[in-house]
Amino acid sequence: MERANHQEGEAQGVRICDPPSESNPPADTLATSLSLLGNHMFPDPVERLGSTTVSRDDPANSSDVTAEEPSVDAEPPSNQLMKLETEDTETSESQPVVSAQPADRGTEDAAADNDQNDSGEFVVAMLAKAKLEEQGIGVKGRSSPLLEAGTQESPTFTSHRDEDVTADSWRQHRKHVFVLSEAGKPIYSRYGSEEALSSTMGVMMALVSFVQSSDNIIRSVYSEEHTVVFLQKGPLVLVCVSSSRQSEQQLRGELMYVYYQIISMLTQASISRIFEHKKNYDLRRLLAGSEKILDGLLNLVDSDPSFLLAAVHCLPLASSLRDSLSQILQKAITPNLVFSILIAKNQLLTIVQEKTVIEDTRLEPADVHLLLNLIGASSAFQAGEIWTPICLPLFNPDCYFYAYISYLDPPDCTVCLLLLSTDKEAFYAVAECKRKIEEAMETQNSLSLIAKAQSYSVSQVGVSDLRHFMYKPFDVPDNYRQLTQFTSPEMEAPYGSEEEKMRLLDLYRYMHSRIHSTSRPLKLIYHVAERETLLAWVTSKFELYTCFSPLVTKACAITAITKLLRWIKKEEDRLFIRYPPKYSTTPNPSKSSRGGKSDQQDSTDNGFLSLL
Amino acid sequence: MPDKMKRPDVKLVLLGDMNVGKTSLLHRYMERKFKETVSTVGGAFFLKQWGPYNISIWDTAGREQFHGLGSMYCRGAAAVILTYDVTNWQSLAELEERFLSLTDTANHDCIYAIVGNKADLTDPKAHLSRTSDGQPEDQTECEEERTEPQVLSACPTPPASPASLSGVMLHKQVTHEDAVALYGRILRYKGLDEKSSLPAEKVCFETSAKTGYNVDALFETMFDLVLPSILRKRHENQESPTVDLEDSQGAHSRKARIGCC
Ligand SMILES: Nc1nc2c(ncn2[C@@H]2O[C@H](COP(=O)(O)OP(=O)(O)OP(=O)(O)O)[C@@H](O)[C@H]2O)c(=O)[nH]1
Ligand SMILES: [Mg+2]
Repeated sequence: MERANHQEGEAQGVRICDPPSESNPPADTLATSLSLLGNHMFPDPVERLGSTTVSRDDPANSSDVTAEEPSVDAEPPSNQLMKLETEDTETSESQPVVSAQPADRGTEDAAADNDQNDSGEFVVAMLAKAKLEEQGIGVKGRSSPLLEAGTQESPTFTSHRDEDVTADSWRQHRKHVFVLSEAGKPIYSRYGSEEALSSTMGVMMALVSFVQSSDNIIRSVYSEEHTVVFLQKGPLVLVCVSSSRQSEQQLRGELMYVYYQIISMLTQASISRIFEHKKNYDLRRLLAGSEKILDGLLNLVDSDPSFLLAAVHCLPLASSLRDSLSQILQKAITPNLVFSILIAKNQLLTIVQEKTVIEDTRLEPADVHLLLNLIGASSAFQAGEIWTPICLPLFNPDCYFYAYISYLDPPDCTVCLLLLSTDKEAFYAVAECKRKIEEAMETQNSLSLIAKAQSYSVSQVGVSDLRHFMYKPFDVPDNYRQLTQFTSPEMEAPYGSEEEKMRLLDLYRYMHSRIHSTSRPLKLIYHVAERETLLAWVTSKFELYTCFSPLVTKACAITAITKLLRWIKKEEDRLFIRYPPKYSTTPNPSKSSRGGKSDQQDSTDNGFLSLL
Repeated sequence: MPDKMKRPDVKLVLLGDMNVGKTSLLHRYMERKFKETVSTVGGAFFLKQWGPYNISIWDTAGREQFHGLGSMYCRGAAAVILTYDVTNWQSLAELEERFLSLTDTANHDCIYAIVGNKADLTDPKAHLSRTSDGQPEDQTECEEERTEPQVLSACPTPPASPASLSGVMLHKQVTHEDAVALYGRILRYKGLDEKSSLPAEKVCFETSAKTGYNVDALFETMFDLVLPSILRKRHENQESPTVDLEDSQGAHSRKARIGCC
């Protein structure tokens, strides 16, 4: 994350409490790094934790320079320096923080009671213990992000933080994710095997259960380099250790995606039943083989803004073509078919829903993201037709759909058909729908038309200085109601390289965290960074993130946005799925397709519970 | 239900623990290639043209997560290929513990094959692919150099440390005899008479999806073995053309639901 205009201030803040990291012995395990983190956090544990603990929104943002204003047309006092935000300055000495309050974040927590003090000391003790227990256990030969970030950034901390971003290892390891069971059994680790990390996981677990026992839900731990976020969902505990400078809220959202992906494979009901039955069950037995799906998800979360925006991205398509594709799907139906989805280049082309389903509910973007990730992770052998149970956790966390996945353009395998049925036995009937769709698409020459479709360039908008944007409309016209979408051009130069893409995404994530700050949400942010200027704006109708060349004036940016909004309005039929057709396939439509135990949906466990 | 789909004449199912190489075997056979795979989710359906017949092949997921689906994939199957990994004893044990019961929904005259895959890891002879016509297979995407492997005696287990082509040979945990013994137990489980059933030599294979060793032999033997089943079915179908194809297959006179088998 770029902090262009205040490196000095931040550097000072850092120096004040930067631990003597040079004196830390080189560590090469996550646990030792964690204890390093412990040092970072608690250079002087007792004293620090004995004093008042401040829970605040995001220490990373402490001395950021941004410009805010209530409306676009307000005249800015200056182009670059609008108003120095002083909100966080009182905490800018980067005092480490353990935020152990379930709510009321961002307020000074005067009630630093014994529980908290104890938990803080406990953190230190446990992290130190992790160091002892895990000396010598390598993490698949990679050092941890904590360590890397620490060693890389400590010496050159004052400037060019963004330069470090280009290091491959930095990007790959800047975010660790762990999943454990409530009993402390490791379930998943993004990097390194869960076994090798089991004592680290144990430490985290002890941490969580300790705080739980004192009626406090531990939510996050901050140091100036890292954020550790905990999320408990049912019998699962998810932990994220990140140096990505994202807000706790964002990281928590990402952990939710990990949880949902696990649910999508096993269902929430099954997981509960398993752990009711056997508290220390080793869930890896059931998730074995799914690691690639979780790995893939986390890579997408880092690289695809769909997750940040909680919206889906569809491929721009002439509305006539999109309509004709929708009609093809609409005609190829069979009983119990509920969703027909056409995907090209990992983006939605169209989606058609069963009538009764669409009446009660809409497909949540998160469920679509999970489906797209599943397709990406299971496409190794693309000639076949896949039939697999999948749960859409936001639709109904306890039931399975049966997904039919097949590519329509082998051997290229870019156009994918996804049909969801509630009937486990419907494979042949659903496969038959695919043949009908294939036939119709052939007569209409759809595949070659789809092949020509592509994402657009920001230059088409015709606004100089505008480099990139993300626009997410809210449910304005009724037609959007089916699915939250966003549109965004291709990331082009100067954001062509992976590193630069990631840097821009990080800037967007930063803007997003400011807009959605729980303590101090903003409507508009004008952020002048070193290499670009960003403007984020949220209204009741849309959420917009724009990126301009650095020399743009504020007035220019505002004119540009007006032009951009006009362009989007003009193009919206092409940019969004606007008129989603429906079909009716349920023999005896029940209104309770969501939530309740609908007779149509399969709430069985696929038989794996019998293996317990 | 009207249907323009090439209705499969017969169904063949691949079963076995995750990671034993089911997908790789099928991929080797269908695409003549060995490439990295992703653990299968659910099951994947393939249609293979075999002469005038359409053979459907289900490549199932070995993961416990999908355990209960197995019996659905097996319903009405004419042949089941039980796959294990020769370097992993547990994978053979799993066939008996976890997968055999799934075949209860298969045809009563279902043919069972026991296949030990990854033979290239333990047997130098598996580096020379053996195709049905005895010609060495085209080893696409298989990087090993084609040097003459050591000629072995008829010994079913490999020598202690053969000069391997790919370096270190792994310990063979499951012998051919173990597989043959399992076959005997399967026949007993099914209540079949050993004498009137196919002999173990015909249906116990050791294969390598990596080199192609025995892969064609496996699939083509199975296809030939299910031919009688296809012919019978076609015959029955001619006699009562309105009956759904799948109906006549149900092993336990299960009321077949429309469009599934
Ligand atoms: N050396 C060797 N490796 C093999 C062979 N067949 C498969 N593999 C490897 O074993 C791993 C698993 O292969 P898959 O074909 O995906 O296994 P599967 O049985 O389909 O597994 P699931 O889909 O999870 O049930 C892959 O890494 C393959 O490359 C073989 O004949 N020799
Ligand atoms: Mg497989």
